[in-house]
Formats: sequence, C-alpha cells, structure tokens
Amino acid sequence: MIIIVGRGNYVTSDPLQDIDQLPSNPEEISKDISEKLEPSRKYPGALIVVEGIDGSGKSTQLYLLKRWLEINGYRLHFTEWNSSPLVKSATRRGKQRRLLTPTTFSLLHAADFADRCERQIMPLLHSGYLVLADRYIYTAFARDVARHCSPRWLRNLYHFAPVPDITFYFRAPLDVAVKRIMSGRPKLKYYEAGMDLNLSLDRAESFRIFQGRILAQYDEMVEGDNFVVMDGTLPVNSLQKQMRQMVKARIDLSRFAPKKSTRRPL
Amino acid sequence: MKSGKTSKKKDGAKIVLAPSGASPRNYGLPLPGINDEEFGGSLIVLEGMDGSGRSTQIALLTEWLESEGFAVETMGLRRSGLVAKDIDALLAENTITRMTLTLMYATDFYDQLEHRIIPALRSDFVVLADRYFYTLIARAGARGIQRDYLNGLYEMALRPDLTFWLNVRPEIAFEREFRKSHTISYWESGRDLSLSDDLFQSFILYQAKIKKEFESLSQRHGFLSLDGEASVISVNNELRKRIAAHLGISRTHYRPSSALAPLWR
Repeated sequence: MIIIVGRGNYVTSDPLQDIDQLPSNPEEISKDISEKLEPSRKYPGALIVVEGIDGSGKSTQLYLLKRWLEINGYRLHFTEWNSSPLVKSATRRGKQRRLLTPTTFSLLHAADFADRCERQIMPLLHSGYLVLADRYIYTAFARDVARHCSPRWLRNLYHFAPVPDITFYFRAPLDVAVKRIMSGRPKLKYYEAGMDLNLSLDRAESFRIFQGRILAQYDEMVEGDNFVVMDGTLPVNSLQKQMRQMVKARIDLSRFAPKKSTRRPL
Repeated sequence: MKSGKTSKKKDGAKIVLAPSGASPRNYGLPLPGINDEEFGGSLIVLEGMDGSGRSTQIALLTEWLESEGFAVETMGLRRSGLVAKDIDALLAENTITRMTLTLMYATDFYDQLEHRIIPALRSDFVVLADRYFYTLIARAGARGIQRDYLNGLYEMALRPDLTFWLNVRPEIAFEREFRKSHTISYWESGRDLSLSDDLFQSFILYQAKIKKEFESLSQRHGFLSLDGEASVISVNNELRKRIAAHLGISRTHYRPSSALAPLWR
C-alpha cells in the first residue's frame, strides 16, 4: 500500500515505517501520482482522526495537536465518539439496564455518530473547517466485530461517513495499555469490559481479553483503511512532534489559517 | 448452535466469524449469537398507511387466534423498551436529521426483534406485526436514503411467514384518519419534506411517494395485497382465510366479542 504525505508529496510503501525514515526529497515524486491517489473531496475542509484501544495515548495526542492548532489560530472543531446529546439518554438507559445486544449497541452508536455527522462534521467540512475526531468509525468496526457483528453489515452501516484525510492509529502493546487504564480507573464498566460477551467472570480479565480482540481488529484495518501507525510506547512529546510533522506534510494548513481582517482598524 | 463457529483464541487472536449464516429465515445475515433455524412460531405482518385499518385488523386477529388456542405477541413501530420514548422525544423536537432517525428506528426494530419477537417465536407464539421494517425502508427511501444501504441495514431481520399490504388510496386514508383524530400527524404527512404548505396536499403527495416505495418492496418481498377500502368484515375474512391455511386451522368461523363488536362493520 502507498501513503501520500501531503504537501511535499512523499510516498512510502510502508505505513508502519517510522516517519523519520521518509524520503527527504519530495521532488522525486511526480505530482500526478499523488493527485490520483488523493481521495476526491467534495468539501474544502479536512478530517483528522485518532484511533486505538483504551490506554493507547490517542486522546492525549489529539489534545496536544488541538492545542497547537488553536494557539496558532486555525479554524477547527473537535468532536468525540459517543457524545451526541440526542442519543445520550437511550445509550445511558441501555447500558444501565443492560438491555443492549451487540446489534442494538452497534446501532445506537451509529445513530449517535449519524447525528454528529449530519449536524456537525459534514456542515463544518463543507464550510472549510479542520475537524479533529477522537475515535471514528474504525472504533465501531473494531469493537463491534469483537462483539461478533458482521463486518459487512458494519461497513454498510457507516457507509455515509466521510473518509478521513489522516487516520492516526496509536498502537500500544496490550499489557501497556491495560496497565495504563487499570491504574487510572477505579472500576471498569460492564460494556466497557465486554462483560456482555461472557469472556470471563472477572471484570479485569474480561477487559483484557476484549481489548486484545479489539487490538487484533485494528491491526487488520491498517492497510485497507490507510492508517498511519504511531508507536504508543514512545514519549508523549516525541509522538506529538511526529504527529505535527505528519499533519503539516499532508494537509495544507494555510487553508485553515486565521483570515486576515479586511476591516480597517478603528 | 450453528452460529457458534467462532474460533475463540486468547487475546490478540483473530476472530473468525461463522461463514455466512444466511438462512431461509433471514435476509442474508443472522443476528449475532442467534440461530434462526432452531425456533418455530409464525411471524405475520400487516403493512399499510395510517388509516388503512391495520390496528383494527390486528385487534380482531388477536382475539380470533386466541379463541383458536394460539398464543399471540404483537410488535409495531416505536414500541421497544430501549428507544421508543427517545424517538417520541426526537420527533417532537423536530431537530433530528434523516439518517439519525433512520438509525433510531432501526435500533427500535432490532430491540423488539431480539427481546420480544425471537423469544415469542421460541415459545411457539404467533407474532402479529403492526408494520414491519418495510415501512421504515419506504419512509427512508422517500427521503433519499439509498435502497442498498437500507436493504443492508435490515439484512438480519427475520423473514415473515406472511406479509399483508392493506392498500388504500391516500384520499380515503386521510378522511378516515381525520374523522378519527381530527388531525393528521406531522410525520405521517411528510411535512419535513416540504412538499406543500397545505396539510392535505402534503399528505397526499407524501403517501403517493410511500406507495411507490411499497410497490417496489412488494415485488421484492412478495406482499399479499388486500383492498383496504373494503369493509372491515370482508378484509378480516380474507386475512383469516390466508392465516388459517398457514397455521392449519380448519374452522375459520369467527364472531367478535362484545368488546370488539363496534369494529365489526
């Protein structure tokens, strides 16, 4: 597979390759290749997504990226998985009363996403915003397949979602991620731990097995969904440096720069 | 269980799903963890717009089947324990977009399927559905959502044993509904589509769209179309004849109880 690394049009054949090893001479690569491979966009905005299992460090990294862009005045919007107020009460009720099956769990999250997609993400992409998403449809693919939903059904379910410009996949070994979560969280919730799957009576053990399955599903998607794999065990600041370089290389940030006021100062 | 062909390895292992699980009872995919070939019962669906006489017929059929010794369970739209109230609230708010509404209705449908219909079929009940996912496909289709998407969404639904379509002209349905409740619902007249400022016009235009969707659904799914403008008695006679043949009931005579007698005309 090939990934395009934006403005300079670097091309590499291996998405797992460390970004420092990318070819340093962008002129080597002809422009038309990159134009062919650039997904066709019907909107002026751009979408950056982070994915990975719990404890992989993705939210911290996206937060730092957001701060960097904000401080520099770029037009952006930040959106989180599972946060639409419209669907919140249904999700809460379903979880509290343990009414959710793999299918209804999946559908409710899709409804939640559809609401954000139709009312925030799409209008903002059309109006030229940089949209940052903490988790995206790949979270549903990984988690719901781990719950035995059909991959074909899921791909169809989320067919309306725009394809991200960059999907950062923060990959941390299972033990590292689980340790981070277990040390920071007093109690794992029922569905979070995958207790509905009867993997183990012990919640921590169930969580471990469930996260392992999700991790395997993420790994499966790396190639087909053009993930940019980030080593979640690296120090926070060096990961962030890589992330910013990648964003600068692949997205023309000047499109989102603060508009110069044409108004005369008073 | 057939659908349990999953290789359960420890964490990190790849999950292998059962090959396809398509059966004569579903539309291409089984529900996760459910083998739909292991249970009996009968699923009978009544479709038709508001004012087509669905609810009246369901009430009469329930009484008839119970008098014949069949246990009956019913389902309909917006009746799930999980999201029915939320959909009501969303419809009232009127800020909801078409895809979200489509998916909330799908959640409502599958919740009833998994928590009500399948347990009832397992216990050998006759399930009477006051509308099924066909209405949901027709409504979403009328709002421009792609047919392939919708067919995929309901791929895990159970295939009914019988589906009746009570066909009425929108004008007649409007009259009946208006006489009953002195108003026409915002959604049933498709007001969100801005077809006309006039409520009657909007209802007629919207129901014509829905009817077109139903005509193609009928081709695909083999609906039994009945004349919904005929009298309650003659529609009921026709329904009972078909259902009796399906369930192996030989005697189809039925007179409603005094509670339901006012419907019998």
